[in-house]
Amino acid sequence: MPTGLFLDYVDPWINWDWLSTHIPLFTRMLTAHIELTVIAVAVGFAIALPVGVIAQRVSVLRGPILTIDGIFYTIPSIALFSLLIPYTGLTTLTSEIGLVSYVLLILTRNVVVGLDAVPRDVVDAADGMGYRPFARLIRVELPLAFPTIFAGIRIATVTTIGLITITAVIGQDSLGQLILQGLTDNFHTPLVVGTVLSVLLAFVADVGLALSQRIAVPWARSA
Amino acid sequence: MSIVVKVVQWFTDPAHWSGSDGIPTRLVEHLQLSAESVLIGAVIALPIGIVLGHYGRFGNVAMNISNVGRAIPTFALLVLSFQIFGLGDTPIIISLTALAIPPMVTNSYVALREVDPDIKEAARGMGYRELAQIMRVELPLAVPLIMAGIRTSAVQVVATATLAALIAGGGFGRYIIDGLAQFDFTKMVAGAILVALLALATETGLAALERVLVPRGLRLLSAPAARRVAFKTA
Amino acid sequence: MNWKARSATLAAVLAFALTAVACGSSPSSGGGGTATPKGTITIGGFKFSEGSVLAELYGQALEHDGYSVQFKLNLGSREVVAPAIKSSQIDLYIGYAATDLEYWNNAAGEATGDVNATTSKLNGHLQSLNLEALKPSAAVDQNAFAMTKANATKYNATKLSDLASIGNQIVLGAGPECPTRPFCKPGLEQTYGIHFKDFKALDTDGPLTRAAFANNSIQLGLVFSSDADLNNLGLVVLQDDKHLEAADNVVPIVRTPVATAEVTKILNAVSAGLTTSELVQLNSQVELQHQDADSAAQAFLQQHNYFS
Repeated sequence: MPTGLFLDYVDPWINWDWLSTHIPLFTRMLTAHIELTVIAVAVGFAIALPVGVIAQRVSVLRGPILTIDGIFYTIPSIALFSLLIPYTGLTTLTSEIGLVSYVLLILTRNVVVGLDAVPRDVVDAADGMGYRPFARLIRVELPLAFPTIFAGIRIATVTTIGLITITAVIGQDSLGQLILQGLTDNFHTPLVVGTVLSVLLAFVADVGLALSQRIAVPWARSA
Repeated sequence: MSIVVKVVQWFTDPAHWSGSDGIPTRLVEHLQLSAESVLIGAVIALPIGIVLGHYGRFGNVAMNISNVGRAIPTFALLVLSFQIFGLGDTPIIISLTALAIPPMVTNSYVALREVDPDIKEAARGMGYRELAQIMRVELPLAVPLIMAGIRTSAVQVVATATLAALIAGGGFGRYIIDGLAQFDFTKMVAGAILVALLALATETGLAALERVLVPRGLRLLSAPAARRVAFKTA
Repeated sequence: MNWKARSATLAAVLAFALTAVACGSSPSSGGGGTATPKGTITIGGFKFSEGSVLAELYGQALEHDGYSVQFKLNLGSREVVAPAIKSSQIDLYIGYAATDLEYWNNAAGEATGDVNATTSKLNGHLQSLNLEALKPSAAVDQNAFAMTKANATKYNATKLSDLASIGNQIVLGAGPECPTRPFCKPGLEQTYGIHFKDFKALDTDGPLTRAAFANNSIQLGLVFSSDADLNNLGLVVLQDDKHLEAADNVVPIVRTPVATAEVTKILNAVSAGLTTSELVQLNSQVELQHQDADSAAQAFLQQHNYFS
């Protein structure tokens, strides 16, 4: 247990005075965090969709694509950022490249699994109706795979929101900066604010996405 | 590319293979922190998941533990533990254990739930009592999925133990954080490579262990369920 | 509504929301684009609170005089700041005479306790890089090595040379760059003959170092002589009896093209007006009372009427 030496500087967990005078700081960090999330998931999805389709269609590529993605996924984020820094510097680009890599695995896998799950009969019926492969993909298979893909987007979003906090270590603005400030300044309040906002953001994002799915595709609930 | 050359030189420098900042020492530190956390986590998580799964009640509790666990950023957890417990291994192990628990709870819960109800009924019919049911019938069938949960936890913990360096912890993360502080990219990249290799080794090593330990018949039975995606927190 | 229409509406709503977020958060540099006649100066700060305070202090003084100042705080250690000024990413940073000399001369061991001699040697090395060190301030922040009162009693240590014989019982704690800094571990080894049991990489006199003192995982730790709370923490600084630490006076280091007569005058005025005790006071406000570096600096400058 810590001796009085350390605890002498324990502030109250929330210093309301400090909190009320630093709202612009919180807003700035929260906005940066949201921006990073949106870009990572959007770019990740833009890449994962075609890659996933290819992986699902071309059986030779499926294994390698999923394996490579899996390897990236296992690498801790701070290690991945570290590998990028000599080439892309301490910039937002480094953070985004890292974050997108993680989003890629989740979404690619879900696209593949989602497309796999489309019943064979439906695919055959579509072929029978004269759909060409691309049209069949867009108008039949993807809509049916949508719930699974969307589940992946939800997981990817929540994951990304959590991972972004680590980017504070490489100088990126985000809610993680508040957490880092809590550490370096030996100060509880920014830590609490950063953590609470981060959890809230993840919760709001998850619920928001779930609602959007229900609005867009009311007949299909995700897993 | 000169950085590649420098990193190779870093690895071939004998000074980096000995002493308190050497690769073997850091490896042991990293593994020690991870293993302790997963073990303690297992001791807590598995009984909870198994019991909940056996009785089929409070399934929501199991899922909610998992969800809440995911939502809290690990970085925040580490700093929080440091501010409460000070320096040393304690805050690190507490955070890592908290991280290790959710996947093991979820997986063991689902594993027990997925045991064929007919088998459970047969066991009851044969006169097995609750504990015997769990120990001699359900648990052996649930092993593949439980092991998958342990593997998920272990990989997550090994990856996250990297962050322990931020609160003066040891392990391979030390190279990354110190390299970053000193702007010594060679050390940083070397650390990143070591961490990545260790995480991958943990994943493949435990997967191989699973294949050895779990009887083939069982493995085939629960194959699809066992392939759960590890949840990424670090 | 069929699902296509719903999806389209949803997509439109999301797109609108995203645009709103993006527009709301676009960097405000779009608004303040008019270049001030006096130009822009970029000031970099070290990654510890005193570094931010000093950067804000000098930077705000320049701002008050009409310059447009860009603050790049918390860059890192000298390993980050020095390349930044060499490559003109920053124009100015606030350094410490002796430590900077030993950095820019590649640890040649030239620094002494004489601040003027040290600074002129520093300028000797900076000249070829198109940099210069201005007039040093009277305010000093040296490396200092401290022990807990309990340990100081236990090892009967009041000065650093007392540790020479028991080095192998002592673990040293400091920032990760310590093993490469002449005023840190190498200096202790060479000047005092202390061969430590181990070295723990912590932070530059931050919470990690304090916590390490608290649980006795280090017995000797690097602190800064301008620290506000050494006494409160029950730490006692060991006397530097062999004068390992040299004249670490606060000194602005600036790119020569930026060091016009007017800029130099302002920076020198701040340096002249800053004393060690005032620096300690500023540190106390920022570290203990959790004031922001920029507001603490502003209050200080206003109090001293911007030294004009």
